[in-house]
Amino acid sequence: MNDAEGRRAASLEAVSVSKGFGGVQAVSGASLTAFPGEVHALVGENGAGKSTLIKLIGGRLRADSGIIRYQGAAAALKTPDAAHRQGCWTVFQELTLLPAMSVAENLLLRREPRDVFGLTSSRRLRQAAEVVFARFGIRDIDPGALVEDLPLADRQVIEIVRALSHDPDILLLDEPTSALMARETAWLFGEVRRLRDAGRTVIFTSHRWHEISAIADRITVFRGGRDVGSFTTLDEDEAVTLMTGQRVEALYPPRPPAPAPAAALAVADLAGGRLAAASFTLNRGEILGIGGLAGHGHRELFLMLFGAMPRKAGQIRRDGQEIRPRSPRQAIRAGIALVPEDRKTEGLLLPLSVGDNLTLAVLGRESRLGILRRRRLRTLAAAMAARLKVRMPDITSPVGALSGGNQQKILLGRWLLADCAVFLFYDVTRGVDVATKHEIYELMTALARDGRAILYYSSDAEELAHLAHRVLVLREGRIAAELAASGLNAERIVAAAMHEQAAP
Amino acid sequence: MMAPPRRSTLAHGLARHLGLALVSALLAVSVIGYGGLYLATQGRLPGGFEFTSSLNNTMPLALAGLAQTMVVLTRGLDLSIGGIIDLSDALAALYLGTTAASMALASALILLAGAVLGFVNGALVAYGRLPPILVTLATLAIFQGLAIRILPQPGGAVPEGYTALLVNTGAPYALFYVLAMMLFWAVLRRSRIGIALLAVGDDEAAASSNGIDPVVTKLVAYTLSGLIAAAAGLFLAAQATAGDATTGNGYTLTSIVAVVLGGVSLFGGRGSGIGAILGAFVTTMIVNILFFAHIDPLYQSFYEGAFLVIAVVLAEGLGRLVRKRRARA
Amino acid sequence: MSDIRRRDWHRRDLLRTGLALAATPAILSGSAFAARKFKIALSNSYIGNKWRIEMENLFKSALLMEPFAAEIEGSWYNSGNDVSKQSQQFSNLIAERVDAIVLNAASPTGLNGIIKQATDRGILVVSFDNVVTAPSALKVNTDQFAFGRMGAEFVAKKMGGKGNVIMVTGVAGTHVDLDRNKGAESVWAEHPDIKVVSRYTGMWDSATAERNTAAALPSLPPIDGIWCQGGTDGVLKAFIAAGRKLPPTAGEAENGFRKFLTGYMGHQVDGISIGQPPFLSVISLELARRALAGDYPKKDITIPFPYVTSETVKVGETVFPDLPDSFFADFTDAGPHATVKICVDAALDGKACAGRLAVELPAA
Repeated sequence: MNDAEGRRAASLEAVSVSKGFGGVQAVSGASLTAFPGEVHALVGENGAGKSTLIKLIGGRLRADSGIIRYQGAAAALKTPDAAHRQGCWTVFQELTLLPAMSVAENLLLRREPRDVFGLTSSRRLRQAAEVVFARFGIRDIDPGALVEDLPLADRQVIEIVRALSHDPDILLLDEPTSALMARETAWLFGEVRRLRDAGRTVIFTSHRWHEISAIADRITVFRGGRDVGSFTTLDEDEAVTLMTGQRVEALYPPRPPAPAPAAALAVADLAGGRLAAASFTLNRGEILGIGGLAGHGHRELFLMLFGAMPRKAGQIRRDGQEIRPRSPRQAIRAGIALVPEDRKTEGLLLPLSVGDNLTLAVLGRESRLGILRRRRLRTLAAAMAARLKVRMPDITSPVGALSGGNQQKILLGRWLLADCAVFLFYDVTRGVDVATKHEIYELMTALARDGRAILYYSSDAEELAHLAHRVLVLREGRIAAELAASGLNAERIVAAAMHEQAAP
Repeated sequence: MMAPPRRSTLAHGLARHLGLALVSALLAVSVIGYGGLYLATQGRLPGGFEFTSSLNNTMPLALAGLAQTMVVLTRGLDLSIGGIIDLSDALAALYLGTTAASMALASALILLAGAVLGFVNGALVAYGRLPPILVTLATLAIFQGLAIRILPQPGGAVPEGYTALLVNTGAPYALFYVLAMMLFWAVLRRSRIGIALLAVGDDEAAASSNGIDPVVTKLVAYTLSGLIAAAAGLFLAAQATAGDATTGNGYTLTSIVAVVLGGVSLFGGRGSGIGAILGAFVTTMIVNILFFAHIDPLYQSFYEGAFLVIAVVLAEGLGRLVRKRRARA
Repeated sequence: MSDIRRRDWHRRDLLRTGLALAATPAILSGSAFAARKFKIALSNSYIGNKWRIEMENLFKSALLMEPFAAEIEGSWYNSGNDVSKQSQQFSNLIAERVDAIVLNAASPTGLNGIIKQATDRGILVVSFDNVVTAPSALKVNTDQFAFGRMGAEFVAKKMGGKGNVIMVTGVAGTHVDLDRNKGAESVWAEHPDIKVVSRYTGMWDSATAERNTAAALPSLPPIDGIWCQGGTDGVLKAFIAAGRKLPPTAGEAENGFRKFLTGYMGHQVDGISIGQPPFLSVISLELARRALAGDYPKKDITIPFPYVTSETVKVGETVFPDLPDSFFADFTDAGPHATVKICVDAALDGKACAGRLAVELPAA
């Protein structure tokens, strides 16, 4: 904190703002002060209240108590419209584009170019949209396309351009980069800097520390629904400590001891989709990393092992027995579990309770003559939730109400209860906050120590370098390199993924 | 940023107006089928009488379909359309009078009454946050009951001049009304409120965070539906030349059929009023085709149902195919 | 089928040309014209109940029997209760240039516009059962007021002019229901000692009548007479289920009710069974045929109701123990002054009966 800045006129102030949903207090007494010409990052674990605060400031939600001021005047925020009128525009985490409408219609919604009769036309819309796109250097999105036909990254860009095109005094961006590629992120940061240099205020959130350190002038850390400090400089370890409220010695736990060669899973010449041929052995107690650039067969490898995609060729042996999983059900019966990246669409039943979701895979085992042993199921679920440190109001709350990292833990807990021996982790830490990442790393290493076999793909090479015993790098559907733990680092993995000769 | 190859305006247009394109094709095919059958059985082609009577007979349904579209676009459903048509039909048979002035005044008041009833539906749906099916099912019964009270027995009279104006049997003047309806849609689609209707049906939360008021939008949708349904009742009365407070009942269902055939999505946000109007004409053509094909009348509803299922499955399947293509492109 | 039609059409064209040359309307009713078959179509609305099916079957069977087979080329269409669909079918019949349309309408007024177009083009429209109000259409029907009176008079007489009756009415908002009720009420008014203790709808449907009767009975005093518009067997079954004795009953022509007249389910009912005859379609067809041929005036016809009582009912002729309760047993008239006499196969399957079909229209 800096007294000289405190005396400058704030462009945005939130004072002791609170918002609850049912019994859960999402934001409680949070405050935020931002200044003109400032890029202000909000960091915190998932569920710390950042997104809710942004919705309150952007007029999407109404605060139960507290005051929000724009340019020193109390803002009456009944609707996003009211915020817009006062120069505050928000790119929410959940996109607000209309899927069945064209890009141009979305971009110019409610300010369509109109003729004397008050009517618009697709030609006028397209022309106006092209002007807007040209202003922000967008050339590869067709204004006539339907939004639903566009990839997520393009939709995110449109959403950002729409907010930018209103020349906002205050721009709020809630995890704008999670759907963007490097090139688009660079474009966004260029626009953000331009706004800052023009004396505007930009608030943004991200889980990627390098982005925050690259662009933020000030960082406010959130924990448990309120702000715990505002800083102009902060390093990652300090941030993690503040976000979790406990001292974190190191983000990555020590690698588990090297396993003895005892194959839990042996794969020979597995092929299908983009995967041309893969052969490897995964030992008990081993974390076998899978690296490489996206689109080189990783997804296919994981899906085929989990029985979610038909194999074209190849053999899978589980503890020496050949298996042919044709469905996830069969894979699970063979003791193979998948923990995917996208928690909401794969595996969890969001309206059901934590307990129900945890015990879903063992209902058959834990019933007698077709009747569930409810008390035992509840005990099992409670024990597992405690072991995984799931943060939740209680075991009967719906899974949909939990943060992403906690949802992931519940999926993991389900497979642990089902006593699976082989775990397929597919980019599980993507979009997950740093504190939860840390917990996932600890869980993963604990599983390995416990003698379970782990196949681990991550789009973050740093993680593989710190956790895996070996890393197999996939390129063009084949294993291009096998890297041992000694001397392993992220650069070598990336190099192996890109160049033929990189692997020694 | 790189510029990937753009798809043509035509391709985009086709993608967004797929439903309209399909119903146009369906109408073309059914008209040709009807013409062919007619030629085969009658030894001549359909002429002025056939054209005019098909047009006149379809007018009430075309209007009912357009009315239904207003509400379906917002992801609702208006089951009360039949009741409003009943009421409008009954009122027209009783109060049109004989002078031009009385006819104009009564017509305007009847349309106003339809709009008010639609507004009531809209208020219950938008403010009461009640499911549209439930609200309009209840108001359907109420409106039907009112209609029966107003005109307990079929009767009354619609002056000849009124009939000649709306559904002239001598010449296809009703074509003018069809064009007017299409123009109405084209204007609506390009206006603020039309865009709001589509936006609310597409994604209510997203529309609302873009500053579109879903409550106002729904009120307008149901009010327009009531107004247009009342117009359908006027045409129905004009066509019959007398009133019957039960003849509108069927339009609740057939308006939904017209909407579905017209490529308007029952899940809201997609579709065109023009599609629903063309959908109404397709249903008339189906009746004509089955007539001249001399299908055993006992199997007629079977064939009608089968035709409908095939049409919808075809439309849905083609839609999915195009979507997949686009996703791959 | 289309070949035959086309040939007919050509023949008619030639005839027209010939007529134009001769330009003498007198030929219209002459023998040259009789060489051509008249095209007569049945336009029916709803087909979802047994009465309508019998009505249509009788029409079909008549077309197969002389004199109709030789003189008429017939067709039939159903539209359901959808007025605009029936109107569209009507338009198609006009386009087909039929000579006459026999009509059971979905609405008494809804088709008036298109009927006028048909009659303006010289097409004869004969409306029956649910008759239309269009002045240019001929109407063939029964007197529903008389239906109500006839049943009520029978019950009143059997009750000795005093006691409790129930009225089981029909579908509200229809002419038929209204007129029948009025007829009954006019009789009760003449008997001050008769009390209508309950009045509810049976919807002309046995199941509904049985359900509603069962619901009403527990609160009712002893019943001395039943006056019922339809679903009569259902009413009686509800009485039996409630352990009540079956009083004198006036009802419709359901086979089930007539079984009770001869003794059924261990009960024999003293009653009168009056029917809205399904053969109205055949009478309308006959009217159209003779009017087209010019040997009967184009005028409305009211026919008497066919009826039987417990004394006159005859097994195999006016009641059929082997047929379902819901069958309408008044598909044929009986007695010396019968308007139509036709066999049971005609009503069941639309098959031709042996011999000619004689239809007695009222004296012109």
